[in-house]
Amino acid sequence: MTFNTGDLLYIAPFLVLAVSGMLLVLAEAFFTGKDRTALAGITVAGALASTVVSIVLYRHLGPTSSRLLFSEMLVADRTGYVLSGLFGVVAALAALLAPSHQRTHGWVVGEYYGILLLTASGMVLLAQAANLATVFLGVETMSIGVYVMTALRRRSRRGNEAAMKYFLMGAFATAFLLYGMALVYGAVGTTNLVQIQQRLVSGNLGLLTVGSFLMIAAFAFKVAAVPFHMWAPDAYEGAPTPVTAFMAAAVKAAAFAAMMRVFGQFMGGDKLPYGVIGWASPMVVLAALTITVGNIAAIRQDNIKRMLAYSSISHAGVLLVGLCAMGLGSASGKAAMVYYLIAYSLTTMGAFAVVSYVGSKDNERLDIEDWAGLASRHPAAALAMTVCLLSLGGMPPTGGFFAKFYVFKSAMEAQDQQLLWLTAIGVINSAISIFYYLRIVTAMYFKDARGEIATTRSAGLVFVMAACPLVILEMGLFPNWWLTL
Amino acid sequence: MLMNIGYGHFLVLAALLFAIGTAGVLLRKNVLIIMMSIELMLNAANLTILTFARMHGDLGGHSFAMVVIAVAAAEVAVGLAIVVAIFRGRRHVDVDKMNILKH
Repeated sequence: MTFNTGDLLYIAPFLVLAVSGMLLVLAEAFFTGKDRTALAGITVAGALASTVVSIVLYRHLGPTSSRLLFSEMLVADRTGYVLSGLFGVVAALAALLAPSHQRTHGWVVGEYYGILLLTASGMVLLAQAANLATVFLGVETMSIGVYVMTALRRRSRRGNEAAMKYFLMGAFATAFLLYGMALVYGAVGTTNLVQIQQRLVSGNLGLLTVGSFLMIAAFAFKVAAVPFHMWAPDAYEGAPTPVTAFMAAAVKAAAFAAMMRVFGQFMGGDKLPYGVIGWASPMVVLAALTITVGNIAAIRQDNIKRMLAYSSISHAGVLLVGLCAMGLGSASGKAAMVYYLIAYSLTTMGAFAVVSYVGSKDNERLDIEDWAGLASRHPAAALAMTVCLLSLGGMPPTGGFFAKFYVFKSAMEAQDQQLLWLTAIGVINSAISIFYYLRIVTAMYFKDARGEIATTRSAGLVFVMAACPLVILEMGLFPNWWLTL
Repeated sequence: MLMNIGYGHFLVLAALLFAIGTAGVLLRKNVLIIMMSIELMLNAANLTILTFARMHGDLGGHSFAMVVIAVAAAEVAVGLAIVVAIFRGRRHVDVDKMNILKH
């Protein structure tokens, strides 16, 4: 075992995020004055720098080449760098959302920025993990950071309660994740995913099955899949909106990045899922439940943040369909998942940016009724929200449409057409979901405003509100390039 | 008697500890007790990892357990901070009474 300093180059996205996160924590300690906007600027710079480094490394590696780093603890490949780049962008967007929200709602805390980047560094670790130990470390680096971010609005009782619920549920899930990893380790005698892949057939079947099921349950907690979703609506509602956006977009994407590594890539393959370990059989059930229950619960919500929380639950279900397709040997599964993660993350950031924009001091305007007549008062914001909602509902010509289309198409290609029924459930639910997304659109365009709607304005917020819908439309109109990533 | 204690005993002990921890999380109302139960679960998993590491003669498991101990400590620090914040606002830490957010 030797330490190869050349490997450091390949984890540069992680290093940039971790180092700038730590510098920001230090900077916040020495920061005088009440305005923390300068910290947001440094955060955006750090996050985008890591995205640039990811792009450079992406171009440096060939389309199919991969390289194991640090005694096979991490792996460098193109998928990993695409997702690292995405996490950098989402972290930058979350940093842009924060200053105006903090000022308006009176929770000016500089710690947000440092922790944001440290959390993102955990996500990058997940995207590059090649060992159960690094998966665990990445999940925890990410989760602990998000617990803190949820709790940052210290005087808000709702914020505290959300953080408590999120923490207890998350820590509980972590224990299941670890016990599952312990059993898989016992079955195959290594935590190295590359070697696990080789020893799957010879390992102890009972331990492998129980271990992988426990790991699936734990990841289902992290991505808020039904029946492990109970914490999500509360945590999403109680957390400050920029944190909710980051949780819904990046944390979910990172947990799926880890699942794609562990289940899709290393424990998947052409013959494994139904045969030797059968992890796909609980996964398809989870997927069907998650899509349906998430959608039906979303219909009943009047609070926009809770509605988006349930909508994100049903999106997790669609992503699980893609994961099953990937595990069942669908060749296009991985590209479809990556496309979906990018489209979904940007759409979510855009939607929550508008939610943040529409709120004002002492009135967050989270009830759908509060959005009545938004289009006549703030047409641009209403338009941005409409594009994001259409994308979430999977309507053309947005990225959300092709995301769903490609995931379901890859599910059709799974071996022996085993996922045909799941695809049908997914398509029916997409139609149902249009109903509650259009409820917001109807309120914005066809109802009369009940008075002046004061908003929260800042250049960063407006940029996110403009950029996300534009990129989503671009993804929908010219999807081909995004699929080659 | 001690001679008969093998890997199996350690694994069963760990499974029991994990089950006790799970029951504690699901049944107890006090946040501090729930956090102790979660610690119990993590340590049960650690014991399992260490037992398997000895069985397989693999050092990777030992280092994994060290990582887990460090991470669990970090997690509990954050958890206790959240408990303090909750306690300041409500003077109690009973999870059943935390219901401001809609269900």
